[in-house]
Amino acid sequence: MKMKIGLEVHVQLTRAGTKLFCGCDSDYRVYATNENVCPVCLGLPGALPVPSKKAVILALAAAMIFNCRIPDAIVFTRKHYFYPDLPKNYQITQYEKAGGAPVCLGGEFEYLDPDTWEWRKVRIRRLNLEEDPGRSVYPEGSIVTSRHVLVDYNRSGVPLLEIVTEPDIPSPRAARAFVEYLLLSLEYIGAVNPRLEGAFRVDANISLEGGERVEIKNIGSTYEVEKALLYEYKRQKLLLENGGQVKRETRHWDAVRRVTKPLRHKEEEEEYLYMPDPDLPPVLTRPLISEAKERLVTLPRHVFEWMTSKGVSREVAWSIVQVQHAAQLYKEALTSGTDPRLLARFIGVDYKGALKDLQKDVHDPGNWPEPAVFRKLVEYVQTGAYPLEAITGIVIPKLAVNPQVNLESILPEKASNVEEVIRIVIKENRKAVNDYLSGRRKALDYLVGQVIRKVGKKAIDPRTVRELLIKILTGERERRERNS
Amino acid sequence: MTTIYQQLQTGDYDPVEAFEKAWERITRHEKTVNAFITIDDYNKLRVKAEEASKRIRSGEPRLLEGVLVAVKDNISTSWLPTTAGSRMLSCYQPPYNAYVVERLLEAGAIIVGKTNMDEFAMGSTGEFSAFGPTRNPWDLERVPGGSSSGSGAALAYRAVDLALGSDTGGSIRLPGAYTATVGLKPTYGAVSRRGLIPYANSLEQIGPMARSVIDTALLYKVISGYDPLDATSIKGPGIELERLQPADPSKLKICVIKEVLEASQKQVVAAFTRVIEKLEANGADVNYVSLKSQRYVLPTYYIIAMAEAASNLARYDGGIYNCGSLKMPTWEEQNIRVRSMLFGREVKRRIAMGVFVLSEGYRDEYYVLATRVRRMVRDEVLGLTRDCIIASPTSPVQPPRLGERISDPLSLYALDLATVTANLAGVPALQLPIATTSEGPVGIQLMARPWGEEDLFNTGLLIEEITGLRGVYAL
Repeated sequence: MKMKIGLEVHVQLTRAGTKLFCGCDSDYRVYATNENVCPVCLGLPGALPVPSKKAVILALAAAMIFNCRIPDAIVFTRKHYFYPDLPKNYQITQYEKAGGAPVCLGGEFEYLDPDTWEWRKVRIRRLNLEEDPGRSVYPEGSIVTSRHVLVDYNRSGVPLLEIVTEPDIPSPRAARAFVEYLLLSLEYIGAVNPRLEGAFRVDANISLEGGERVEIKNIGSTYEVEKALLYEYKRQKLLLENGGQVKRETRHWDAVRRVTKPLRHKEEEEEYLYMPDPDLPPVLTRPLISEAKERLVTLPRHVFEWMTSKGVSREVAWSIVQVQHAAQLYKEALTSGTDPRLLARFIGVDYKGALKDLQKDVHDPGNWPEPAVFRKLVEYVQTGAYPLEAITGIVIPKLAVNPQVNLESILPEKASNVEEVIRIVIKENRKAVNDYLSGRRKALDYLVGQVIRKVGKKAIDPRTVRELLIKILTGERERRERNS
Repeated sequence: MTTIYQQLQTGDYDPVEAFEKAWERITRHEKTVNAFITIDDYNKLRVKAEEASKRIRSGEPRLLEGVLVAVKDNISTSWLPTTAGSRMLSCYQPPYNAYVVERLLEAGAIIVGKTNMDEFAMGSTGEFSAFGPTRNPWDLERVPGGSSSGSGAALAYRAVDLALGSDTGGSIRLPGAYTATVGLKPTYGAVSRRGLIPYANSLEQIGPMARSVIDTALLYKVISGYDPLDATSIKGPGIELERLQPADPSKLKICVIKEVLEASQKQVVAAFTRVIEKLEANGADVNYVSLKSQRYVLPTYYIIAMAEAASNLARYDGGIYNCGSLKMPTWEEQNIRVRSMLFGREVKRRIAMGVFVLSEGYRDEYYVLATRVRRMVRDEVLGLTRDCIIASPTSPVQPPRLGERISDPLSLYALDLATVTANLAGVPALQLPIATTSEGPVGIQLMARPWGEEDLFNTGLLIEEITGLRGVYAL
């Protein structure tokens, strides 16, 4: 059944440095409760908002990613609703219809679908820069039942970018790909660290042919975006196939029980009393455009297409592009003599894989060596100084443990020596070789042990020895089979 | 009558003596007049006065060393409660100082206390204070004008030398007119609003009040200036006190607004005309002009002010501003209870009307239309003030008697007929006394082009010479 999906993504500009209208920290997570606050973000009487230039520039850079029409001046709007976590009982946002002017008056965005390697187009309806509310905790249940509400205003006033798409997304999986690529793009322009807890939230609209639009609120991860939409797709499909009707409603994604639940009926537009904020004169965009443009120099798509043009496979290129630091490393390590594919493999497959094995954060630049180290590794293989297996099997895993280590100190015995030793061991242990070839696998462990003993204390990876042994012995077996 | 400015210049100002005399008047009259909501402790103030005297003796006085200043109670002070005249904020003491308060303290001023006012500055008579009405020292049966009622009254009975008010639609100038004091509504953006509890942000300014033009200019010099933490603050030309002098009447062009004159009481028109005729006799070029948008200024002003008020006052819920006395089972019930109980009648009226004019389906007809008419008014005023000082009576009537107007909102709002224009247009406006009669004082209002404060002060100095009403006081 055909479906239409539209998304509303709220992304915190965690790297804006300050909150949107005051000097408090944009990354509130490290603070004790209600420590990252001031009169402005507490909405105290007489405190005045002053727009953060950096947040506006980041929002403009985002608008440029989306090929938006950008107005000459942006105008902030007050949106009124009473809520415990909203200290002024209005949110400063942008709303075109009430005299406001958002940073984007409509645009278009292409995201990569890694299932098909297609670039898919989504129309962007609008982009708002607004303040995040505080966080409420209801110690005795819900807003209706609880006698108390505890509010932490550390988050209050953090710059939030609201990105609203047209219903152009064809499937739950594509929705996930969109959000992932969107976050990656915003990370590349220095706007957000999407891995911080609560750095983004997604509301999703989905409608099936013959049904009304249903909104799913408050989805917290890209994985959940796919799951929630898939659930909702199946629920609506079943309903329609059984002659039922899908009514227009708002539902909530219960991530624990993995179902959507009705939240409230959206019968009429709510009354928000929109009004341009009289404390905030229009912000002229022209003087900020060039600074915003500087942030667009490197976007994921540029890096991806540049890499694939050098012959790097799409899978490996995508693996690198997904980690901004890895992409940066790749660009710095690649010189005219370096094999681009080998370099990409070392960075995007072997090293990244080794970090994951060690459960280290692939996004932490401190977990990566200098670009010259990778260049050297490629050179070793290209000149034949070491076989590929020695680098991927021995050097890279060790490097991942300590990326700042001196490369010389972890290089193994020259591969030619190891192979010589292996041939000697094979010659000296015919019985074990025969046992192995006739199917007794344990004999291999014995042979590995013999090789390591002969090599001595020199650092060598048993896995490499094992692989080399298997390779040589397999050759041996094939020769015997041909002969018989 | 010597001004505070002259006394400071000649070294005749003795802070301890000034404070003791002022304190004696406060002790004698404050109970009747009710100009203050909070007065700071005698001993603390006395110590500050002594320190100021020492500084003067050691030859290092600052611009307002030891000068006694009253601050309207909607301007934040970190050491004194700031109530905005409302029960809603009766327990509120801000954690920070308003920009203008910082400037006063830096200049060596002594802040005596926080003055009474109409709740959240919504009122023209001072009667809508949750802390009781202020009485007019010139006639205790009459109102002192509002909403900066306490600042006007405190100056009139010499409880202080200078005072800060705020002016959203005439709230400095009406009390000025009714208490025979001087007050300036500055150019929009000239004085930082940081720390001013907002009523209608796009209209209001904090401004200086005093008993003479030069003292008003002195206080203006201290509080004006660019504040990067107020996004509506503007870098202006500033003002040189030494340069101020009575305007040369032969170079003065005055435009009198016919519509305001026609709507004013006989006695008011008489006093006003006497001054204008003297100016003309001295060589001023006097023109009687029509302000075509005059008939729209009141509705335009009240629609915009109420819309902004409804928005600004949304923050006062049961959360942090109630004194802990009202506890309801749910947050929503608590909100309703707190807002019903702790806001006064006029405030609730304006919130209700503000919500109405912003509502879906009405916004275009009321709020959006009003912002358009506002631009029309502004353009007309900017055109007139390009080469003319606009003059009119400040209030169409003399101070009403207590209780005379509060039950009829429309007759109350009509008091602002002449004053709201300057707020809609963002231009500066100066009020100064021109007569004191048995029916109470009468004031003149002068409006100039944006940043025309110097012209206003110079014209004011000239009028002071004509009327002789410099430094007058009651009681």
